[in-house]
Amino acid sequence: MKLLKFLLGLVLGCLVLVLPVSQFQPDTLDSVRSLAVQLDGRKKPLDTVANETLAKIHGSTTYKTAEGTTEDALTTYLALWFNTRNWNEEPIVLMSYRPLKEAVGLDLERKYFTFQELMTNQSLGEIVKQAHLDELDDKTLDRDAREALIVEDRLTLLFASVGDKSLPLVPHPDDIKGTWVSLEEATTLYEPETVAPLLAEFAMMQQGLLRDFNSHLEMIGQIGTTFKSQLSELSPTVYPTTATLQREVGFNHFHPFAKAWQIYALAFVVMLVALWVKPWELYWGAIGIFSAGIAVNAYGFWVRMQIAGRPPVTNMYESVVWVGFGIAAIALVFELVSRSRYYLLAAAPLSVACLILADSLPAVLDASISPLVPVLRDNFWLSIHVPTIALSYASFALALGLGHVALGNRLFAPAATGRFKTLSQLNYRVLQVGVLLLTAGIILGGIWAHFSWGRFWGWDPKETWALIALLCYLVPLHGRLVGWIGDFGLDVFSVVSFNAVLMAWYGVNFVLGTGLHSYGFGTGGSGMLILGVVGLDLLLVAIAAARHYGWFTQAVASAELSSAEAQPE
Amino acid sequence: MLNLATQFTRFLGSVKLAVPLMTAIAAILIGATFYESEVGSATVQLQIYKSWWFGLLMFLLAANLGVSTLTRYPWRGARKVGFALTHFGLIVLIAGSAAVIHLSTEGMLLVRTDSAANSQVRVEGDLLEVIAPDGRRQQTDIFVKPDGSVYPPQFAGIELVSYSDNAIKTVEFREGGAVDNRAVRLELSSDRMGQTLERWLAIAPAAYSDLEVGPAQLQLMHADTDAELQGLLSPPVAETHLLGVLQIGAQDIDVEQQSFTPIALPDGVTVTIAQLWPDFRLDRDGLPSSASSEFRNPAVQLEVTQGETSERWFVFAQTGFEPIRSGETIALDPTALSYTPPKQTPSDFFRVVESPDRELFYAALSSKGFKSGSLALGQSVTPGWADFEITLAESLDRARVQRSIVPVTPVAVPGGAPQGSPALHVTLADGTDTWLPWGEPTTVASSAGDYYAAFSPKLLQLPFSVQLDDFIVERNEGSESVAMWTSAVTLTDAHRGDRVQRRVWMNHPTWFEGWKLAQASWNPGDLQQSTLQLKREPWWVTALTWLGSVLVVVGIATMFYAPALLKRFRKARAARSNAVSPGATTASEVSETGETPATEAIPDLAG
Repeated sequence: MKLLKFLLGLVLGCLVLVLPVSQFQPDTLDSVRSLAVQLDGRKKPLDTVANETLAKIHGSTTYKTAEGTTEDALTTYLALWFNTRNWNEEPIVLMSYRPLKEAVGLDLERKYFTFQELMTNQSLGEIVKQAHLDELDDKTLDRDAREALIVEDRLTLLFASVGDKSLPLVPHPDDIKGTWVSLEEATTLYEPETVAPLLAEFAMMQQGLLRDFNSHLEMIGQIGTTFKSQLSELSPTVYPTTATLQREVGFNHFHPFAKAWQIYALAFVVMLVALWVKPWELYWGAIGIFSAGIAVNAYGFWVRMQIAGRPPVTNMYESVVWVGFGIAAIALVFELVSRSRYYLLAAAPLSVACLILADSLPAVLDASISPLVPVLRDNFWLSIHVPTIALSYASFALALGLGHVALGNRLFAPAATGRFKTLSQLNYRVLQVGVLLLTAGIILGGIWAHFSWGRFWGWDPKETWALIALLCYLVPLHGRLVGWIGDFGLDVFSVVSFNAVLMAWYGVNFVLGTGLHSYGFGTGGSGMLILGVVGLDLLLVAIAAARHYGWFTQAVASAELSSAEAQPE
Repeated sequence: MLNLATQFTRFLGSVKLAVPLMTAIAAILIGATFYESEVGSATVQLQIYKSWWFGLLMFLLAANLGVSTLTRYPWRGARKVGFALTHFGLIVLIAGSAAVIHLSTEGMLLVRTDSAANSQVRVEGDLLEVIAPDGRRQQTDIFVKPDGSVYPPQFAGIELVSYSDNAIKTVEFREGGAVDNRAVRLELSSDRMGQTLERWLAIAPAAYSDLEVGPAQLQLMHADTDAELQGLLSPPVAETHLLGVLQIGAQDIDVEQQSFTPIALPDGVTVTIAQLWPDFRLDRDGLPSSASSEFRNPAVQLEVTQGETSERWFVFAQTGFEPIRSGETIALDPTALSYTPPKQTPSDFFRVVESPDRELFYAALSSKGFKSGSLALGQSVTPGWADFEITLAESLDRARVQRSIVPVTPVAVPGGAPQGSPALHVTLADGTDTWLPWGEPTTVASSAGDYYAAFSPKLLQLPFSVQLDDFIVERNEGSESVAMWTSAVTLTDAHRGDRVQRRVWMNHPTWFEGWKLAQASWNPGDLQQSTLQLKREPWWVTALTWLGSVLVVVGIATMFYAPALLKRFRKARAARSNAVSPGATTASEVSETGETPATEAIPDLAG
């Protein structure tokens, strides 16, 4: 019966994956999607180029035109590439930072602006110019200047993409690592008569699209098929196989990480129902759904590893997704051992939060797959050290979740003293895993540092903060031995100590901004927002502590309580 | 007494010490990382991580770990064994890490493909070597703090006052010359720039009568007559012909006013000024262009016509340069043409003028205007460049040159490279005050005799030499970004006759005679050069860190998970053999403080 329910949940989870079914139907543009382009140090399908370009210019992978229709990245990219619209006057460039809009006198209510509006804005030009001068002088740029530079990058990319004649579509004849060329330069590598049909097909596509964009898309697909096979025949050994290109296109469209959070959220809801409606016995169903989510998440990582050809965790984006996955996976293991429900309940919202965060902040967490810097390359230790550390962060995040569940219970269900004890014990187990993984991770990092920098330990800020984080968890675990810290203390520490993890994970790169570990992490996000969330969370802890120790009279405590309800956890 | 010792030992090994100790270390480390982002790694390493008190703290932690483990002997049960392993491992790790920091030698080796093998490693830091007047020879490491102060503050009877990375060799002037030679010391200060600088000016040598200090020229001039004095103290005459004058025969033509208007000459020749190139040169396509708007190599382009014929002439300001013409038919004497560019608009200056009767006056020009007046010792003048104030600090009648090194606080020029080199400011016991330039041995005279001092980079001689055979830069396909760089090196030990070829790249060092060679950095602008990191540490240090690492990880895993696994294993065995002996397993599960481990007894709520 349990197994049946579990399988039922699993199937239900998988149903989320395949819906809507239309996503698997091949559309007419598949051949164009999987045209190979050599860009930014690797070969990728045009679909990825389209996604990355639109995400960078527009901050999203879909574009809503002035007429109100929503286009996918490829359609917009084709319109850019073949220059079928007046891109001077399409409001496509994202500029959302309010103070900068204020400073240069743009409409505060708009998020997207036209190329023309921004290029002719003198004060924006001045800010960009000054920012470049300051960059030359090694001055630290303020937020306005950094945002202005980002806008400049978007404008440059937009300018380069419209009617782009230099897209490297033509493979190198023999060298697998050789530089590809554009159609216009194809004659430098191949005989003119070989290149002629390609040019003709390209011209046909362009003419078709210029005449009437939407009605000719189907025709583009047909010409694209011939076009692609001819390109591939130019240099069959160098041109990526259709399977390789399709794999990446499929990955772009399947959105495994987005699907995973939807399934986690579903599992969370089902588990809540299971908690309240005991007779339905939905527990195993929820576990089944949750497992489906983990499977999708893991599959996503597997495909991404194959596409990138490197270990799973090499930058901030991947680490956030990996932590989301780690929280769920560790929770599932503990759930299967303890059958307590709380692991899943604590883990699911956190995993969902991590995955949504990774999906929605492309400026801070860049999801694009680009080549690694030399230090990280060709490295056995990278593939162990970083995932281990990130898994320890995941354990501590799970402890954070359990800590919140426990503190919430103490605030809103103060009578359930039995539950407090249980939750605290569940929490303790997760902390153990975290301590073991973090210690192992730090030591693995030391071994790598021994090879790479010549010393096991050198008090680099990232190393030091990892150690600080470890100490922040060792203190309560030792304090517990002499009775200084009880069940409540452990819950509080599991919440408060996570700030040290946040600092080690994110803060060292963005707050301190020093040290050897600063590769591949873009600009920081909004510091105030993060501080605000941390501050609210600490306030919640303080309220719970006030309640627990009876710092205030009953009247004050209940007033606090009502204000606490307004706070997000 | 014995009781007290026991109590102390018990405290030293107690959790009650461990918890505050760990809290204190965490707090110090948090502070240190924030401090580091302010002052930089080198300072924090010296002031905190390598300081005696931090070492003491680490030693206390190691003592706490050691005593706590030893006093809980015998370690019965898996949990206790794990606890002992972890704590011993940590002691070993602390010892090993400390040994790495203190006992290893590390330096950078710059090698080039086009130069001979190198065997001198540049070790971080600088060295001061002093031979005192009594012949004693001493040397010490010099550490410069970010504020410019120097550690150690005193060495071999010399006080090390400060350090500047931008000192230049210049001259000072002293009274006691044979002939009259005016010299003045000017002090320039700006609150807004937060700087004060000093400059010596002298009539002779001539190089010191006119100095550039960033915003303006400083000048010292002598007037032989009153008329000359008046001339030097009056505002400069402004140029009236802003774009210069073209001479055709005796005719002067203002270029600015008469551009594009044909000028009629005899024989039906007309000349039209078509274009002015202040800094003439031919661009990549062979077309005339101006490299800048400064009048460095000015040329005027003329359209010369006679009837139907038309030629293009270029007339240069440089003397001895005949006009270049596109044809030879028009009868116009090329030597009759010349071009005089506008006089350079005078830059801002502060001029000190000595009158015939040896009084001092000043004249100052800035964008805010011109001013002049008499100048007395100690008097301050604001010439009008930003908020600069110039004070006459010293004036000598018969100055003679004395060479010395002085630190220069350059006026901040955006993008300007520092011109000076590092130097150390020292004072001797008798008050002698001087600067030691970096990399140049210097003799310092003092009342007690001559000191010989060398402030130099710290170098270390390797037992072998390293030759860079090739430096290979691999790039990501189709882009300029670097995928990997590799140094192909030949390592030669002349004494042993060893000679090997190795490749070194990121994360893939090579070992030779106990030294580890790793790829450190490269110069994108010069692909014939590579910097290797060389490192040597005693083998037992490496062994300690490996051992400690294994002990800690195995220890923690044992402590957390072995009891439960063992219990399950025993249960299974008991169930199989059907011979149950209860109570045998529970005794070992009690922790050192008698508390029941919380890993036990998780109620099964789901059931």
